[in-house]
Amino acid sequence: MFCDRVADLDAAERARYADLLVLIAAADGELVREEIQLLESFMGRAMVHPEARTSIRQGLFDTNRLSNLLKNAEIETLRYALRDGVLLAAADGDYDRRELRILKKIASSANVEETELKAIFDWVSEGWEWHAKGVKLSKLSARDDSLPE
Amino acid sequence: MLPDTLQNLPRDERYAYARLLAYMARVDEEITVDELAMFEQQLGKALLSPNQREVLRRALKSPPTLEECLDGLGPEAGRLALRDSVLMAASDGSVDDDELEVLKEIAEHIGLVPDAVQQLIEWTKVGYAWMQDGYDLLNSLQS
Repeated sequence: MFCDRVADLDAAERARYADLLVLIAAADGELVREEIQLLESFMGRAMVHPEARTSIRQGLFDTNRLSNLLKNAEIETLRYALRDGVLLAAADGDYDRRELRILKKIASSANVEETELKAIFDWVSEGWEWHAKGVKLSKLSARDDSLPE
Repeated sequence: MLPDTLQNLPRDERYAYARLLAYMARVDEEITVDELAMFEQQLGKALLSPNQREVLRRALKSPPTLEECLDGLGPEAGRLALRDSVLMAASDGSVDDDELEVLKEIAEHIGLVPDAVQQLIEWTKVGYAWMQDGYDLLNSLQS
């Protein structure tokens, strides 16, 4: 259900998926806490082995691997990375042009057309609205109304 | 799935948050792959140290009592833990009676309105639909 089939990919593909996300996170030259939080969350959901996560994190400092990843990853992996990469790129509240450049390269390698990529961006916007509602909801008023808004 | 205020909490609060999720994952005595993936997702989101993560993974095998979990929770961590406990409980497709009972206990402990759990379950359903839209989108892409 909520946890998706990215965890069903084989270990090498899940590592590539996470590597691609690392490249997107590092694309704009700075890594904010929101991006790290999401990156760790995606690696957790993909059930990447804890030791593999350590080496994947090193990829934050090696941004020259994109072409190899695009060449070696399967289409399905690229599409998961694209979907979650758009979520990740949105994490700091703005899409950076360098993030967009990588996303477009992934889309191209995954045979995703421009209109389809736009649909993914729209889907992400809807998700943000849903998530914002959850954040608001998690501040549900207390019975004695003593909790802050 | 998306970043939120959890990251602003102190580490001990984030640890308490994750410990409650470990408890939640084991409420029905068995842990499904979906629940495990959801647990790992939330563990990642909590930005805990590798050692703390290991301790929490072990807690899946012998979880603490609910009372122990609730004792360490502050108000904000408690509300976030409740929200994500609902996501966790629903991750295998439904919220069973045992899980619902625990969710209501958590809500009561942190002093939320009586229908808080139901509101969060409804919110979770909307989230499922959104995720499904994402799958449908990926599946509809030209091959």
